[in-house]
Amino acid sequence: MVLYSIRFWFFFCALLIPYFTVFNKCAKAQNVWLLLGSLFFYTLVDWRMTVLLVAAIGIFFFLGLKIDALCQEQNEKDASRLTTLAVVLGVSLLVYFKYLGFFVGQFNKILMAIGFGSSLPTLRIIMPLGISFFTFKLMGYVIEVHRETIRATRDIVKFGLFISFFPTIMSGPIDNPRNFLPQLDGVRTFSWERIGEGFRRILWGIFLKTCIADLVSGYTDTVLSLYIYHNATTIILGAVLYAFQLYADFAGYSHMAIGISQVMGIKVAENFNRPYFAQNLAEFWRRWHMSLTNWVTQYVFMPLNIAFRDKGTAGLYLATLINLVVIGAWHGANWTFVLFGLYHGLLLVATMTLDKKRKHFEKQHNLKKNPIWKYSRTSLTFILWCVSLLCFLSPNIHSFLHIFPHCFNKGFDVPWTEESFQKVPALLFILVMMFKDYKDEIKLDLHFLHSSHYWLRLVTTTLLIICILGFGSLDGASFIYYKF
Amino acid sequence: MLSEVQDIFRDVLDNEDIILAYETYSDDIDEWDSLTHIQLVVAIEKHFHIKFTSKEITSWANVGEMLDCILNK
Repeated sequence: MVLYSIRFWFFFCALLIPYFTVFNKCAKAQNVWLLLGSLFFYTLVDWRMTVLLVAAIGIFFFLGLKIDALCQEQNEKDASRLTTLAVVLGVSLLVYFKYLGFFVGQFNKILMAIGFGSSLPTLRIIMPLGISFFTFKLMGYVIEVHRETIRATRDIVKFGLFISFFPTIMSGPIDNPRNFLPQLDGVRTFSWERIGEGFRRILWGIFLKTCIADLVSGYTDTVLSLYIYHNATTIILGAVLYAFQLYADFAGYSHMAIGISQVMGIKVAENFNRPYFAQNLAEFWRRWHMSLTNWVTQYVFMPLNIAFRDKGTAGLYLATLINLVVIGAWHGANWTFVLFGLYHGLLLVATMTLDKKRKHFEKQHNLKKNPIWKYSRTSLTFILWCVSLLCFLSPNIHSFLHIFPHCFNKGFDVPWTEESFQKVPALLFILVMMFKDYKDEIKLDLHFLHSSHYWLRLVTTTLLIICILGFGSLDGASFIYYKF
Repeated sequence: MLSEVQDIFRDVLDNEDIILAYETYSDDIDEWDSLTHIQLVVAIEKHFHIKFTSKEITSWANVGEMLDCILNK
């Protein structure tokens, strides 16, 4: 169920009215109501996996309590063991549902290659929607309890709601329990101002999804899946448009999820911070899918970096490479995602190696505030990102590596522009999206959707609604990140 | 001890303007991120001839908690 479908809005209104009327005096009642709503939502989306979700909530709730008790008794050894067990359990869930079929397939290929006739049976495992997101929240929770940055909650409703919260269960943001759980302690009251902000954010998300991502997808799907029929210019155009499509799709979803949560009085983590204005890839990853990057940084990179700290720079580089490979592999069971992560890891290592020299060069030539230097770096970062997206999209590594000689052979020519008339509004809308990001980036206080001037807000909101209804693709296409 | 740690921060983060207080958080200093955090830890460990555990390193919320941890060693 996509977050802008009529079906979803019926569900949301049915949930929201009692939330602010019948249950508005008691935080616990609001939590129970939201938990029931979240489980109902998940059941509507994927009823077969609700049992798994509920079981995982129950098991990790009790693991959290036990780890907390051991920490209080200062029994560090057993607390560490139990935390490790919980993390292994979370990873196993992910491996079984997301990667086991792939591993079996790879194992069979090796068996075939070395001449063994018999092979393991092919597995057809249904992947529960949102598993990559809720397993990360489950593991993050027990690690935080073990680190004693939070106490384990004794309220299973609150914990269940943190894991299954319906706006974020399908595709994040992957919230931190330190941020989420304390918000459930107080009553969430009705506020026109907050609800208005939330709805405007949802509207901006719908605009990004329907007026950019879904309008551009026809072109990018055709060009990038059938690249062998296209010349280099078309493929480059396809990759650039796909970069904007992916951003509009995922940021659009994130805006909707954050806006829906905001309407209900819950502030969830941000996911994007104008990534296409980053000046290097290290900065890019601090701005793109921030909740995943933060999670992996806190629970993978930091422990590795601490463990390798005596190995100096080599330890830092190794931790960085593993970190980015984990981020890449998180996206799915395919070697292309591992290569995607490795590519970014190696470029991050190169960025770190050259960082001091760059700073020295900038100082020497007084370039730090030079806009040409700044936007050249931003453009280079964007180009490197677009190249990695070709790998991200390819069905296998061979196809990805074949793109480059293919471009060289076909050469540059006029790009293919079938259905070009339909794409014109999408290109204009991409400019609108980037203009808003640019304004936010340079902090000119012209947040047209959130302006303090009532009329400016009204005009912008009306224009957005007109664009969505007039040009948007309202066929309810799924979000790209649902499949991860 | 605060001034010693402040010198380490200035040296590692290459910023002479850093002024530390017990209530200083990583958000207060631009250069203090997950990468430089470990460099700071290594420099502090070397300076005070101590060794922190992973749990200690990941649980500090601010400079004050870091200093308490050094004092307890």
